[in-house]
Amino acid sequence: MKFLDRVHYESLLQTLGGTHKLLFPVGSKGKFHFKSTDQFNADQAEIGGYRAVEPMKAFFFLAREKVAEAFRPESPGGGAKPLCVVGAKACDLKGFSILDHVFLDPEYGDPTYRKLRAESIIISSDCTDALDTCFCMSLQGMPYPTSGHDINLSPVEGGFVAEAGSEKGEALLSGFPDALPDQLGLMEAQRARVMDKLLRTASENGTPGAADLAGAVGRKYESGLWKEEASTCVECGACNTICPTCHCFLLYDQKDGDHHGRFRVWDSCLINDFARVAGGENPREHLWMRLRNRFDKKFDFFPKVAGEFACTGCGRCSSACPGKIDIRRVLRRLVENG
Amino acid sequence: MDKNPYRSVKTEVLEVITETPSIKTFRLRPTEPLTFAPGQFMEMSIPGVGEAPFTPSSFCGDTEKMDITIVKVGKVTEAIHDLAAGDIIGLRGPYGHGYPLEHFKGREVLVVGGGVGLAPLRTLMYSLFEMRKDLAKLVYRAGCRQPCEFLYRDEITGWLSRPDLDIKLTADQCDETWTCATGLVTSIMEDSCVDPSNALGVSCGPPIMMKFVTFKMLEMGIPAERIYLSMEKNMSCGFGKCGHCRLGTFYCCKDGPVFTYDQIKEFPGIWD
Repeated sequence: MKFLDRVHYESLLQTLGGTHKLLFPVGSKGKFHFKSTDQFNADQAEIGGYRAVEPMKAFFFLAREKVAEAFRPESPGGGAKPLCVVGAKACDLKGFSILDHVFLDPEYGDPTYRKLRAESIIISSDCTDALDTCFCMSLQGMPYPTSGHDINLSPVEGGFVAEAGSEKGEALLSGFPDALPDQLGLMEAQRARVMDKLLRTASENGTPGAADLAGAVGRKYESGLWKEEASTCVECGACNTICPTCHCFLLYDQKDGDHHGRFRVWDSCLINDFARVAGGENPREHLWMRLRNRFDKKFDFFPKVAGEFACTGCGRCSSACPGKIDIRRVLRRLVENG
Repeated sequence: MDKNPYRSVKTEVLEVITETPSIKTFRLRPTEPLTFAPGQFMEMSIPGVGEAPFTPSSFCGDTEKMDITIVKVGKVTEAIHDLAAGDIIGLRGPYGHGYPLEHFKGREVLVVGGGVGLAPLRTLMYSLFEMRKDLAKLVYRAGCRQPCEFLYRDEITGWLSRPDLDIKLTADQCDETWTCATGLVTSIMEDSCVDPSNALGVSCGPPIMMKFVTFKMLEMGIPAERIYLSMEKNMSCGFGKCGHCRLGTFYCCKDGPVFTYDQIKEFPGIWD
């Protein structure tokens, strides 16, 4: 563990801004958004706090990207500048493990995602607070990163306790002084405070834990809860687009100047024709079936194929849902008797 | 440089064959070799219009050309039906797993198809004819709603005289041109005379047909792990990323489209 004072922190990020596009959270009224810039601004960057409104996937798996042009073999996204993300939270990093599983396979890996993941630098940070919708600890997460980062920053008085999580991170931190026991103590105390808040919120809401959720969607597959929960869904797809693990996309072709382009856009499994086949047959014709499918995919499919839930407990879907479908309530109903 | 999985190969339409009022076969020549195995599928695109998944219907040993037989059902297939010889389209693939022909050796093979499902089965049959001496028996049963919709009618009725094939054809409704059976395809499966202890079933066609063919095969004693089904879901990317074609713990595109019934029978809604 190293210690970075404010001066060293600022100069490190200014240096990285020369080679990388910087992304850091800026906030007002308790909401953080990632700002994209080449110039680091230490006064604006909110390194602590909690997760940003938008998921980090938005910068690696783009909402809309031209993925092929005419019949050319090269990927049009090949020139993307590597990113340096500062202030990513543990839930964002956990989201990467699902996206990596999907997009980094050796045979059909996504070229842009692979390039950005390989070349980018992730400087994460501890959550120094939690939202009422946060429930990462119910799904085996922590409010501070334990893997997936190059460097993690824990804000303490006068600077940051900095932990390298990769060789890239070790190299960037070499030469900085070790953190002092007092500084580590402050970090631990702050983590304990946030964990305590998360556990209290989970307990108040009766949010189930990971062990209870294993196999729960299958057990409640025919339950009436899906129809009830879907009754306020307006099929907007916000839960999908705001989710750090949702990866589904649509490919569409369109004329692009003199030739044609193929575009990849985020898609949403809540939208009516998501699974519809040519000829009109739709295996999930009712909205409640599509809501069930979302939970089936996250809490049954991914544990079976990738060994983990495709939910980080970030709570973004609950915040974004105009129908007030709270994922924790659905999970609680999944494990209830009857 | 990474291979770009989204990119199509420029392909020339050599010939368009009208098969039935709603089905055409497109003979295609990709500008780069795209070799496939029976049961694997391709993504075919009309530049600037759209893309859709299709299984080739020609002999997979022809590495220069491939036929794709397409029924007109939607926006992309309507545009495809307007194609003429000389037009340029895009092809990418092949994707997924086809039929494990190695496992067919020594077996009594019962192939049952219907409607446009006869297209992928034609590719399979060409390969099975090639390896006929390695099969204990080859039985083919095919059906259609009406004789005018019978795909490859001349070619398949020509198979009736093949000594190496036990073949029967049926139409749900017959007309004066039809000399074969009348009724659903399951009604001509009864007398297939395959030994269930060594039989292997293959089915491709509309979901409702595959459902009843599967039940009939099970009733005949063919075990679920030797019933091969060609599943249709909304395959878009073709390589297990876009999420549209999930079938239980599988993606139809990457893990299928050919599955054994045993692999998928526990999943809800497989015939929907």
